[in-house]
Amino acid sequence: MADHPFPLSKDELLAAYRRMRTIREFEERLHIDFGRGDIPGFVHLYAGEEAAAVGIMLHLHDGDRIASTHRGHGHCIAKGVDVTAMMKEIYGKKGGSCEGKGGSMHIADLSKGMMGANGILGAGAPLACGAALAAKYRAKKGQPSDVAISFVGDGASNQGTFLESLNLAAVWDLPAIFVVENNGYAESTSRDYGTAVDSYVDRAAGFGLPGVTVDGTDFFAVYEAAGEVIRRAREGGGPSLLECKMVRFHGHFEGDAQTYRAKGELEDIRANRDCLSTFKAAITGAKVVTDAELQAIDHEVLGLIERAVTAAKAAPLPTAADLTTDVYVRY
Amino acid sequence: MASLPFTSAAPAPGIPPVGIIANPVSARDIRRIVANASNLQLADRVNIVLRALSTLAATGVPRVLMMPDRAGIRAMLSRHLQREQNLHHTFPRVDFLDMEPTSTVEDTFLAVRLLREAGVAAIIVLGGDGTHRAVVRELIAGTTNPAPIPIAGLSTGTNNAFPELRESSITGLAVGLYATNRLDAAQALAPNKLLEVSIGGSDGALRRDIALVDAAISTDRHPGARALWKPEGLHSVFLAFAEPQAIGLSSIGGLLHPVARDAPGGLSVRLAQDPARRRFGMLAPIAPGMVREIGVEQFQPMPAGQPFAVGLDAGVVALDGERELAFDVGERVTVTLRENAFFTVDIARCMGIAAAAGLFRLPS
Repeated sequence: MADHPFPLSKDELLAAYRRMRTIREFEERLHIDFGRGDIPGFVHLYAGEEAAAVGIMLHLHDGDRIASTHRGHGHCIAKGVDVTAMMKEIYGKKGGSCEGKGGSMHIADLSKGMMGANGILGAGAPLACGAALAAKYRAKKGQPSDVAISFVGDGASNQGTFLESLNLAAVWDLPAIFVVENNGYAESTSRDYGTAVDSYVDRAAGFGLPGVTVDGTDFFAVYEAAGEVIRRAREGGGPSLLECKMVRFHGHFEGDAQTYRAKGELEDIRANRDCLSTFKAAITGAKVVTDAELQAIDHEVLGLIERAVTAAKAAPLPTAADLTTDVYVRY
Repeated sequence: MASLPFTSAAPAPGIPPVGIIANPVSARDIRRIVANASNLQLADRVNIVLRALSTLAATGVPRVLMMPDRAGIRAMLSRHLQREQNLHHTFPRVDFLDMEPTSTVEDTFLAVRLLREAGVAAIIVLGGDGTHRAVVRELIAGTTNPAPIPIAGLSTGTNNAFPELRESSITGLAVGLYATNRLDAAQALAPNKLLEVSIGGSDGALRRDIALVDAAISTDRHPGARALWKPEGLHSVFLAFAEPQAIGLSSIGGLLHPVARDAPGGLSVRLAQDPARRRFGMLAPIAPGMVREIGVEQFQPMPAGQPFAVGLDAGVVALDGERELAFDVGERVTVTLRENAFFTVDIARCMGIAAAAGLFRLPS
């Protein structure tokens, strides 16, 4: 136990802050660049939800696999995917994570255990089951006990694929964790309108899985609960579900007018439910880190994002010849 | 207030409404992962409310005011009430309070204030110890001692040392008997104790909160996922009452030196992580499915009104099983037992008196 109020060392806290801040700045920059028309395709921003991705991913290593969503930038950064390669990918340029041929919703980096963002809602859960099955077999052969995590939004949790995956993970007793990122809206439909049983722990219980709900804007709540569900899966305790109640600072997609939100809602969540502000206040308030140390990280991160954008803009576009490469993977 | 479609009947004059606060997110914490704690599904919570509504109607309660939520109870209950109307079943008029849910504990606080302003006869509460604590905290704020509005608890949480395990139909009947004046306060209500926790800073700032059953001091120092389920780091527990059959931290006292809900005083137990200070060890079910070894240094009665100082420099205070208040070096933490702080509807007594008085007999 660290000699301060938190379950992580000072260096780990600073690393967590750096990752969360990187996600925030990455997304806020995309918000601007997309508005200028610099970016092809669609982007779905993760700003406001950083504590969930980072609080979970700090318990993982590269061998652990994650299956992300259409809102995947935060998962990628938290899992350790290179930020410049991501930016190039989103700009549709060569040198991107997928050589510029996937874009925002298909960023993948298997070397980091990031199996991919996914433009198909609910499609990540079966992929995570496959990765968890592979991990289970590998563990039986004496290899490290890896886990697989599927991220899904509250809206996509109504897809059959998600519910089928809960069943599959339960009957095969897979080292899988289903993380429901509940930001309250399935695109523009409020979850209490569009979800018949508005508790994801209830859904897990329907398949015999334990589940836990945490405040997804509280890094330390996510970190502790994620630690337990991941430990449980790694040690043979089987699958479980983690619901993170969170807020998104931007629309479902960039350009979303967000007319479905209550008046003043966005201002309220930015002022009162900003996970980064909460985290910053906790660690500086306890005098574990100083404002100056965090400001130095802020400065570093801004530089990182600026360099990534510059590199992305300067990188070449894929050519017609690139269409036939990277189609198949050699095993 | 937003009325449900079929609830247009005017409330009967003279009979006050009954309030219902149903926490949609109790029984969702980490103890499901680490201790196989049960989770009462939303559908069951709605069924519990429906059964209570049905029996409230049977006693003649004309109107019920409910806390709205955005986590599923309002939506599901509304669908069910529409179906009940189609089936011509009798229910009170149900109105959801005019408030915008935030999905935080603030909803409970605001709902209690609105129910008080609406003049409810009693509040039926669905939740665990934490939910009941939130209701009482607001109920006693700015009122006389004891708070005038009674609560009737239904346990739908993880740790249910405070609310009794009851069938909601019977709770609805008992509350209905009280709300319709068939039973008076002296017959229907029981006074309750609570623990006041106060944290004073060196700058004069004072933080206050309450616990209904247990206030535990832990060296954890951070709320984290809130539920307290590890015995490591437990420094001391203060108990308003301690029943031998209880689950949770109060079981430590309950198995050492039981203190009844209606007995005067409470209990203070100082635990020992350091073997040198340990007088004896014991086993206690400190969370559902978790019997853990506890080292005890000493225990002593807590007379009402006497502040007990916490002898720990920094840590966190867990209130009714949830880590809530972190404190640091230089802050002084005290715990004080208060008697006659608020009322509960004594369900068993109500039904016993009703039976003896023949309140359920039909005229021949």
